[in-house]
Amino acid sequence: MTVRTTAPPELTVTDVTVRFAGLTALDAVSFTVAPGSVHALIGPNGAGKSTCFNVLSGLCRPATGTVRLGDADLTRLAPHRIAALGMARTFQNIVTTQGTVADNLMLGRHALSRSGFAANALRLPQARREQREHLDRAREIAELTGLAGHFDIPVDLLSYGDRKRVEFARALCLEPSVLLLDEPVAGMNAAERARTVEVVHTVRAELGLSVVLVEHDMGLVMRLADEVTVLDFGRRIAHGTPDEVRSDPEVLRAYLGTGAGQEDAA
Amino acid sequence: MSERLPRARAIRMGRALAVVTVLCALPFYLDAFWLRIGLFSMAAAVGAVGLGLLSGTAGQLSLGHAFFLAVGAYGYVWLAGEPGPGLPTAVAAVLAVLLAGAAGGLFSPVAGRVRGIYLGVATLALVFLGHHVLLTADSVTGGFNGRSVPPLEVGGFSFSTDSELTLLGVPFGAEERLWYLGLGLFAVTWFTARGILRGRPGRALVALRDSETAAAVMGVNVSRYRSAAFVVSSMYAGLAGVLLALSFRRVVPDYFGLVLSVDYLAMIVIGGLGSVAGATAGAVFVTALPLLMTRYADQLPLVAAPGTTDGTIGPTEAARYLYGAAIVLILLFTPDGLHGLARRLRARLRSRRAAPPPSGTTAPSQPPTSAARAKEPTP
Repeated sequence: MTVRTTAPPELTVTDVTVRFAGLTALDAVSFTVAPGSVHALIGPNGAGKSTCFNVLSGLCRPATGTVRLGDADLTRLAPHRIAALGMARTFQNIVTTQGTVADNLMLGRHALSRSGFAANALRLPQARREQREHLDRAREIAELTGLAGHFDIPVDLLSYGDRKRVEFARALCLEPSVLLLDEPVAGMNAAERARTVEVVHTVRAELGLSVVLVEHDMGLVMRLADEVTVLDFGRRIAHGTPDEVRSDPEVLRAYLGTGAGQEDAA
Repeated sequence: MSERLPRARAIRMGRALAVVTVLCALPFYLDAFWLRIGLFSMAAAVGAVGLGLLSGTAGQLSLGHAFFLAVGAYGYVWLAGEPGPGLPTAVAAVLAVLLAGAAGGLFSPVAGRVRGIYLGVATLALVFLGHHVLLTADSVTGGFNGRSVPPLEVGGFSFSTDSELTLLGVPFGAEERLWYLGLGLFAVTWFTARGILRGRPGRALVALRDSETAAAVMGVNVSRYRSAAFVVSSMYAGLAGVLLALSFRRVVPDYFGLVLSVDYLAMIVIGGLGSVAGATAGAVFVTALPLLMTRYADQLPLVAAPGTTDGTIGPTEAARYLYGAAIVLILLFTPDGLHGLARRLRARLRSRRAAPPPSGTTAPSQPPTSAARAKEPTP
């Protein structure tokens, strides 16, 4: 239906600072997500990765700094407006809604569809047509993410890994230009991890979107990411390709403590 | 699969048709007492569907449903009656529904900001406020004694006993006529509410209940949908209020108190949150059961006949006890309400129907696991 042909816009984060009652969660953090790239955000627990995601998706307003997606300024927009501009995210702890996989994916189509209360109450033809079209696209995305067999199954009955995949597919249903993945493989076993990596690859190849990734699994980050930004205590301590970051002394110190500089961070 | 779907659909259509036929035939066989129970149940069902949408689907606790019912009922009476603009009754009915929706809309700045139990308390204030206004604004509401309700007239047909009408040898009084009005309005409610729930707004409301954050990042305008839920729910309440007013033929302030709000909450909880069928079942249960029990309680053992005072419990008390016990039993044994109970019974029936194994033809049947397991040593 709506497969984008142009490259996604560039996501630019400039000097974003977030304070929670005296605690500085993000301290003048800047990075740029190049169109169509996979950008990983790593750091120890409490480094500010999730806060950064919350700023990007509009759930948290920064004290200073700006977030831009192409020409649009996202900094002061409400979450649903940001979603409509093509920014989708998943959550660290799974947040699905009651109903089948289809219901969840159709929620992802919300911003792309129009029909309101009256049209649906009266079951107007246009509302039904819209619903049918979006359901077709949701089914395609379910196939792409390996959920086709579960399409009409209530989400509560699915395994943990499948539920994480539902969240992922739901975000894709937004037809995002930037996809924010918050720990997409946390709690998954090796086979599920491999499958998720495969899906991220496929999605990137087929839909041509940018991905921002928060993940603790270093092996996965090194394999997937084009660029890595490392945060510690809310500050950006390193930035570069996976190989550059891997050998950065600051990063090793943050992850392993002082005096363990020889060890491989992975 | 392609063969089974149309068949399943045909069965469903056939069943629906049978239900509609029976409901339409009932006035020819039942007396006014039963028809009135049915009428109250239908009105309650309309209101319960509205509250179900708000509290069950969108997860916003409302104790103010009685207020919106009152707006519908009194709105109709005032708009159609004297003193009042004296509009044609059909117009007044439509306007009363819109008025209730507008009242819900006026409340939406509060509804958009307050959540959970706090919203419940905020809506509670509406009930007290409404009750006070109903008692004091004499010129509009008739004060403590209330007002009589002008009968609805659509295209020269009056839903009252003013004109004589006999159909197939059955005299059609107000109850019989209103029965069909109630059926029609309930059908509209059923159709529209299910359309909303299965469509885009329904999914947004469910998301609102399960996680506002998830709803927001998926593109749902949270505050707008929170208030929309209130407006739509109030419109159903307004419709129910109009129907109740027509059935009672007199509206009094004391009816629209906190107890009524609690009754509606009980309906949607007993029926099962989040479904139209559940809200309907709960509405019938909560409305009809006390009336039936009061009527038939004197036939139970240990219950005195009405009017006698020989120390045993009277029929009204017995009805209350039984009603309370029924609610407790339902909540204990089917926490997902009558709707969940029906779903489980249906699933069991289906599996039993699918179960009879024509021995040998199906896959190797499972060994009697219970017996085999019992012999295994426990680790």
